[in-house]
Amino acid sequence: MSSTAIGTERPSAVTARDLARATATRTRRSAHVKLWAGAVCTALVVVPVALANVLPLPGANAQDLSRRRLPPLSEGHLFGTDQLGRDLLSRILHGGQVSLTVGVLAVLVSGLIGIAAGAAAGFFGGWVDALVSRFLEAQLALPLLMMLLLVVALFGPSVTVITCVIAVAQWPEVARLTRSLVLVEREKPYVAAARVLGLRAWQVLLRHVIPNVVRPASLVVLLLLAQAVLLESALSFLGAGPQRPFATWGRIISDGQAYITTSWWLVTLPGLVIALLVVGVNLLGDGLRDRTRRRKGAGA
Amino acid sequence: MPIYLARRLGQSLLTVFLTLTTVFLLVRLAPGDPAAAYAPPFASSADLARIRAEFGLDDPLFTQYGIFLRDLFTGNLGTSYSFHAPAFDVVMDRMPYTVTLAVAALAVTTLVAVPLGVWMARRADTKRELGANVMTIAGQSMPDFWTGVMLLTVFAVLFPVLPASGFTTWSGLVLPTITVAVLQLALVSRLVRREMVSALTSPYVTVARSRGVSERALTWRYALGNSGVPLLTALGTRFAALLNGVVVVEVVFGWPGVGSLVVRALETRDYPLIQATVLVTATLAILVQLLVDLAYPLLDPRVRLGKAA
Repeated sequence: MSSTAIGTERPSAVTARDLARATATRTRRSAHVKLWAGAVCTALVVVPVALANVLPLPGANAQDLSRRRLPPLSEGHLFGTDQLGRDLLSRILHGGQVSLTVGVLAVLVSGLIGIAAGAAAGFFGGWVDALVSRFLEAQLALPLLMMLLLVVALFGPSVTVITCVIAVAQWPEVARLTRSLVLVEREKPYVAAARVLGLRAWQVLLRHVIPNVVRPASLVVLLLLAQAVLLESALSFLGAGPQRPFATWGRIISDGQAYITTSWWLVTLPGLVIALLVVGVNLLGDGLRDRTRRRKGAGA
Repeated sequence: MPIYLARRLGQSLLTVFLTLTTVFLLVRLAPGDPAAAYAPPFASSADLARIRAEFGLDDPLFTQYGIFLRDLFTGNLGTSYSFHAPAFDVVMDRMPYTVTLAVAALAVTTLVAVPLGVWMARRADTKRELGANVMTIAGQSMPDFWTGVMLLTVFAVLFPVLPASGFTTWSGLVLPTITVAVLQLALVSRLVRREMVSALTSPYVTVARSRGVSERALTWRYALGNSGVPLLTALGTRFAALLNGVVVVEVVFGWPGVGSLVVRALETRDYPLIQATVLVTATLAILVQLLVDLAYPLLDPRVRLGKAA
């Protein structure tokens, strides 16, 4: 659009072709490609998972011992069946509902904790900052996965427990980012103005500062969602994942591991589904981040 | 400098101590009885009670904690229930394997990710760079246990060129290392790319170029040299994370490291062993981070330790 304007309205040495090859255009294009590819990959997994109850599939836990370990594309079983004759596609989709619920809830909880703690640390400074920063540092040094396994052993592998455990594992990232954003925001004139107008510190923080940092902070959330899905599947793989109502992805893979030499699909297909989803979410998050960074760069 | 070091060490000690206390409480609050895992099958409840008394598990929690602290300060971490050996020694027996895997994975990551990141920075925003970017993201997105199982299937089962599990020959190191490194590639290469892009567009590079410094020296000495601090920070954090994070990969490959030890210790409720593992890994991770911080002034003379903003 702007390229034709320059090309026709005034004489310029910059041709439309130069513009198309310019770094800014290429950055925009690669962000665009990432966004689209990410959206497609994510949708390929999320839409069938969301529709799992509507699609004409055999029950996820319905066993048929006469039809064990059928290869993919056999009649009525697109992804084949497992060692107990259960339809693999149905298991993946229903398990995916649990995995995705855990992931989304975990990210919401960790986002809330992270933004609250990070904003308080950045805004109030002093002992609040010292406390939060110590926590952040300590968590870096902790044997994280071990602690998670321990807590799951303590409270049992229910969806609630695993959600909380993943949220606790992830809040530092959000907190660290929010803290650094608030540190910048705190020095801006509008904060001083709000103070002069007589607002209390926490009112300034809640009504004025946090709304300004929520958008950039929420960008990491997509990247965290990818990590949450991976973490949940790792926990399930180690046997500390939710068992009911359906086995989640990590569990399906660890169950299929014993049959890897004879029935490759039991491990390969669920893994591909996880990878597809996580790639999609990562690309989406990356593309969004590139786009905001460019806007910020253009505005400055 | 000595004051800085003392303060950092004090903080680290406090972190380790609080971690240990948390773990001590968590394992004892968790359901599951170490005596049941330790006793022979069909043991009578009198036997179980005897075992509990022997381990001091029938004391009140505070008494147990007091004994734990007293032993800790005398350097005694207790005897592992399942190995019948000092817990610290059991962990230290396994530690070299985990460290070997972590170091190997980190070395491979660095050797691949740094040149890759530099290459991506030189060709920033081209189609090929986008392709490389997507490839590393894909590597980061695969669950590590799945990558491990897949590599195992291809290179140890279908084409048996590498050992499937354990660490008997050095070739056993290859598959676990690749599995861990694939996960780290995206993070490190993107960091290098970001640092290099901003370094290559900064004024000092323009000045150096105008003075006839070769592109190669510009890239590798000037720009990469100035990316040293963030790169080292990232690698240090990665190493600390790897020490704790290779649990899953160790389980997949039957690697005789601390990770598989932890999973077993958790299953058998081997309290002293769990505590010893936490102590050793947390201490090592904190030490590495401290060393990284101490190395900053070597890489960047502008950094003054202890006077951080």
